[in-house]
Amino acid sequence: MSQAFLPVSRLSFIASPAHRPMSRSTYLELASQDVALPIGAELVLKQHPDAHAVLLDGPRLGRVIEDAARRFRTPLAFPIMDLQLEKAVLLETLGVPVADVAKFHFDAAPDAAQITVVRDRLRSGALTPRMRANNDALRHIAQNTDLVPVGMCIGPVSLMTKLIADPITPIFMAGAGETAADNEEVALVETCLELAVTVILESLRHQIAAGAQAVFIAEPAANKVFFSPRQFEADGGALFNRYVFDSNQRIAALLAEHDVDLLFHCCGELIDPMLETFTRLRPALLSLGSSRDLVHDAKLVPDDIVLFGNLPSKQFYSETLIAPDQVEQRGRDLLAAMRATGHPFILGTECDTLHVPGCETQIWSKVDALLRCTCGPRPGPRVCVATSVT
Amino acid sequence: MNDLLKSLNIAVETGKRAEAKRLTQSLVDSGMKPLDIVEQGLVPGMSAIGEKFKNNEVFVPEMLIAARAMKEAMIILEPLLAQAGIKPKHTVILGTVQGDLHDIGKNLVGMMLKGANFGVIDLGTNVDPEKFPAAALEHGAHVIALSALLTTTMPAMKTTVDAIRASTVKGIKVMVGGAPISQEYCDQIGADGYSPDAASAVDLALRLVGETR
Repeated sequence: MSQAFLPVSRLSFIASPAHRPMSRSTYLELASQDVALPIGAELVLKQHPDAHAVLLDGPRLGRVIEDAARRFRTPLAFPIMDLQLEKAVLLETLGVPVADVAKFHFDAAPDAAQITVVRDRLRSGALTPRMRANNDALRHIAQNTDLVPVGMCIGPVSLMTKLIADPITPIFMAGAGETAADNEEVALVETCLELAVTVILESLRHQIAAGAQAVFIAEPAANKVFFSPRQFEADGGALFNRYVFDSNQRIAALLAEHDVDLLFHCCGELIDPMLETFTRLRPALLSLGSSRDLVHDAKLVPDDIVLFGNLPSKQFYSETLIAPDQVEQRGRDLLAAMRATGHPFILGTECDTLHVPGCETQIWSKVDALLRCTCGPRPGPRVCVATSVT
Repeated sequence: MNDLLKSLNIAVETGKRAEAKRLTQSLVDSGMKPLDIVEQGLVPGMSAIGEKFKNNEVFVPEMLIAARAMKEAMIILEPLLAQAGIKPKHTVILGTVQGDLHDIGKNLVGMMLKGANFGVIDLGTNVDPEKFPAAALEHGAHVIALSALLTTTMPAMKTTVDAIRASTVKGIKVMVGGAPISQEYCDQIGADGYSPDAASAVDLALRLVGETR
């Protein structure tokens, strides 16, 4: 199991209130220190027998997130990556019973009045208990720790895809020139995308008010499963630009307005021009999946955007797919290769490191292996951090 | 007739729905047997797109748009097939395991299997383990296909395989797939076959029922 030690000096420059707001240089400096940063607060959460109760208790959840950051020896307090929250609040606001939310899909496009209702109700603070707890957890991090409070939100395209039974076909039809005016399914996609942006902006306003200094936007659906590379090539990326860039740009603008850093994540399979579209959002950090060759990507990404990733955490559960020593070797190789590129880089996981019942020991052994990749000399004293969060 | 069939192959492969529907109707009107239209007009189109998918020449959206073209054609043919008492030779029970709501991969597999003229009973997502053998019994299925996208829901795949093996359904083949699934995991949970993608799932299903393309 990971030791709960934290090199204090690594944090001293980064997250004290005097240094707010955050800045791009913060991540560049982190990258220059060869840190490793698994995303895995859920692993720590699931060590609590009453994990479900913790998710509804903001201060306790905050202490779990703090505990995870300490164990992972990172100044960035990444929260639980739950990409269902915005769908839940959206649908519950529209009167969909809680039990039906997960499987609910719109048959017809919501009208403008419904979008307004969602926006107004969320703006007035009508959040779900889980979202309220998340915001209280952010407050805990911001007010009681020296860690960087990181918010979390699904990206608009990914949220839209959760609202429609078959989003891929109409996205393709839109790319083939069909419009919302002449195709109901395209209209459904575009209205749901607008609804998604609306909900996300309101969710982010609450997270910013709770103290988020950076927000991790997880946009896994902006990939070549949902957007055909052939069509991308044919239209010069026009559809990808309209759906992915434009909607995320509205989010990036809100964050910029509040001096909150955008940490953009897509673990889906991409073609290079899709990646280049993400860089135009000007994230401070770009987190990519294990299908990407980050050495190659270093040539495509501007030098002031820190690359993050991309050890295959989705395989950490397995005894044979990847062994702990392979994780360590791969991490060290990647660090060395990225150092050779000169591109700022933080070694991390390709996505959230999820808890798999029965595979806990396997997964933790690989998280520990990842953390060992950067166990070179570190300045400053180490302090033991309490891990109890009850 | 051959030209029409060839045009239908191409209409399906390129996802031209209206064209696929029109050509299917023309073939029906010309007196061609509905099963022949399926086997010579639609299945080759889906097989062609499946091969291109395996070779990374096309991607998921192109597969889905092709499947939709086939579906439009089948709206014309299904009542005629039912009227003639023609059923697919093999039936697959398909579903995403309990706790997992993802369905893109499952749907693709379903479309490709239908495209190869399998009967497909889609149980949807988040399916209780015992529903799979129950459906297999009800529909006299030959194969059960399980999908999971999340590492967190993989244990439910094992629970489902256990439930199938413990049920009264005997001799049925179980195939598995999904992003986190591997041949190793397939072997570990006692499934009969693993497919890395939707197009290969057809080859696997054919192999499991003792046929080849």
